[in-house]
Amino acid sequence: MSDTHSQLKALYPFLHGDKKDAARENTALLESVKQKSEHSLSVKQAFFENNAQAVIDAAQAIAQVYLNQGRMLSMGNGGSSCDASHFAVEFQHPVTAGRPALPAINLVMDTAMMSAVANDVGIKHIYVRQLEAHGQKNDGLFGFSTSGNSENLLAAFDKAKQLGITTFGLAGGNGGEMKTSGLVDHCLVVDTDSIHRVQEVHVATYHILWDLVHTLLADQRGKLAEQPEHSNSQSERELS
Amino acid sequence: MKYVDEFRDPDKAKLLISEITAITERLDVTEKHPLQLMEFCGGHTHTIFRYGIEQMLPKSIELVHGPGCPVCVLPMGRVDDCVALAERPNVIFTTFGDAMRVPGSKKSLLQAKADGADIRMVYSPLDCLELAQKNPDKEVIFFALGFETTMPSTALTVLQAEQQGINNFSLFCNHITTVPTIKAILDSPDMQIDGFLAPGHVCMVVGERPFDFVADNYNKPLVVTGFEPLDILQSIWMLLKQLDEKRNEVENQYARIVPAEGNAPGMDALSKVFELREFFEWRGLGSIDHSGVQMRKEYASFDAEQKFSVPNLQIADPKSCQCGEVLKGVIRPWECKVFGTQCNTETPMGALMVSTEGACAAYYNFGDLDELLGKRDKQTQQKTANA
Repeated sequence: MSDTHSQLKALYPFLHGDKKDAARENTALLESVKQKSEHSLSVKQAFFENNAQAVIDAAQAIAQVYLNQGRMLSMGNGGSSCDASHFAVEFQHPVTAGRPALPAINLVMDTAMMSAVANDVGIKHIYVRQLEAHGQKNDGLFGFSTSGNSENLLAAFDKAKQLGITTFGLAGGNGGEMKTSGLVDHCLVVDTDSIHRVQEVHVATYHILWDLVHTLLADQRGKLAEQPEHSNSQSERELS
Repeated sequence: MKYVDEFRDPDKAKLLISEITAITERLDVTEKHPLQLMEFCGGHTHTIFRYGIEQMLPKSIELVHGPGCPVCVLPMGRVDDCVALAERPNVIFTTFGDAMRVPGSKKSLLQAKADGADIRMVYSPLDCLELAQKNPDKEVIFFALGFETTMPSTALTVLQAEQQGINNFSLFCNHITTVPTIKAILDSPDMQIDGFLAPGHVCMVVGERPFDFVADNYNKPLVVTGFEPLDILQSIWMLLKQLDEKRNEVENQYARIVPAEGNAPGMDALSKVFELREFFEWRGLGSIDHSGVQMRKEYASFDAEQKFSVPNLQIADPKSCQCGEVLKGVIRPWECKVFGTQCNTETPMGALMVSTEGACAAYYNFGDLDELLGKRDKQTQQKTANA
C-alpha cells in the first residue's frame, strides 16, 4: 500500500463503490449480537433481583383495582405507546385458558382525540383530557416512560391523583420525576440509560404483572363475574 | 503575529460581509426559510462564536454546527471503557485534557482520577513513550481520539514504539473518520443542508478528493475551510457564489495549508497501522458504517482492546438530549428542551455540551443565555397558543 489512491480507497471504500467484506462484517455483527444480548440479560437480571417485591406489590395493587370494579388505563409515548397498547391487550385478551378478560383502556389508541388536543392545547394534555372524560375512582393508570420525565405522563398522573386513581409507572434511567414527584404510587425503575434495554425490561415486567394479577385474582373470579360491567360502586373488596 | 492579524482584518471582513449580503439578496432565501450552511468542524464553530460571525451575516443565512468535535461524539460506553482500563492495577492511562470531563454512564476520567486511578494528561502521544520508558513495571495506555487529523501522529507513535522496542505501551483506539459521517448526514431523511464548510485540518491529511462525492452525488457545494475569521467568511462567500452560479463543486479556500492530494507521509503511517472498523458508534448520530479505525493485526501488541478485557458496552445517550437533531440542523442548540437548564457546561448531558468546541457549549459560553432561553420559551408558548 504505497500510493495515495489505494490508501484513500482503504480508508473510504464506499467512495469507490467497493463491496463490503461480507465475512468481516458478519464477524463484527456476531460480536455486536453477543454484547447486546449479554447486556440485555444482565440488565433484566439486576432489575428483577432488586425489584421482585415491588413487582408483587404492584400486581397486588392492580388486582385490587379489578376487585374494586375499576379498570386499568395505559399510556406512553413513541415505543412506550406500543407498550401501553400491548399492556391493555394482555388484560383484555388473556391467552391462557380459564382466565377472565379484564377491562383495560389504551389511552394511546384514539388518534383523532390525541391530535385534536395536541394541536389545540398541547401535547402535555393529551392524556389529561382523556382522564377527565373516562377516569373514575377505583381505576388504575399505568404509564410507560424510558426517562421518567415525559411531561404528558406526569400531568396525567397528577390528574389521576386528583381523581383518586391508583397510579403505576415503569421508567428507566434514574426514574426522573416519575420517581421523585410522589405522583406514582408504584414506580418501577430500570437502572440503565439504554432506551432499548429499558423497554425490554418493561415488556418482561408487564407480562409478569399480568400473570401475577391473574394468580392473585384466581379465588375471586366468581366475584368478578358478578359485576362484569364497570361500576361506580364505592364498596371495596380486599384481596384475601 | 502579523501573519495571523491579516486573517483577522476588520476591513476585509466588512468587505466580505457586504459581498455575502449582496449575493444572498439575489438568492431565493428569507429569514423564515434560510440558507443552511454546515461547518463540520468544531474549530470552525469556535471561531464563528469567538468572532461573532453569525451575528454579522444576513439573517437569511443559518450556520448549522456539525459533529466535527471528536470529544463530543464519543459514545458514553467508550468513556466507560476508558474508566475500566484506567482503573486496572499497574496502568497509567494517558489522555488529552479535553477528554477528561466527558461523562460516562457512571463517571468521567476526571472523577476516576479523583477516585485514585493513575490518569495523566499529555500534550502529544509521544509523551507516552517517555512515560513508558520511565515506568517499565507499568502499562501506559494512550486514549487515541480524533479524526483523520490526529491519526498520523498516533500511528507514528506506534511505529516509534515498535522501533524502540517499547512493549509496555498501547493505544485505546477511538479514531474516527469524517467522510462517512458527512455522507450519513447527507443520507438523513430530514437533511436540510445547502452547502458545507469542510474540515481544513482533515483535508490537510487526506486531501480534497475524498469530498468530491458531496458535489458529484449529492449536488451540494463544499469548500475546504481554514480556521481564522476571514477564512470562514471567504468560504461562506465561495459557497454562496457557487449557489448563485448554480455550481456544485469542491473548492479549497485553505490552500495555504491543504495540498489537493493531502499529506503522503501521514497517509503512509496511518495506512500502515490502522484499518477500518465495520462500524463505529457516534454520540447523537448512532452507528455509522466504516466511520472508525482499529489497529491492524500486525500491531496487536500495541492494541489495548486486544491486550486487556474491555467491557465494550453500548450505552445510549439520555433520551431528553436532542443532539442528533442539532447535528443534522433540524433544531438549533437553544431549541433543545434541556439546553441551558439540565444540560450545561458544568453538568453536560449531551454530546455537544461536553467539549468547548461543541455547538451547544459554544452557544452556552458565548451566547446570551437569557435571550436564548427566552426565545425557546416563546416558541413553546406559541405552540400552546395555536389553539
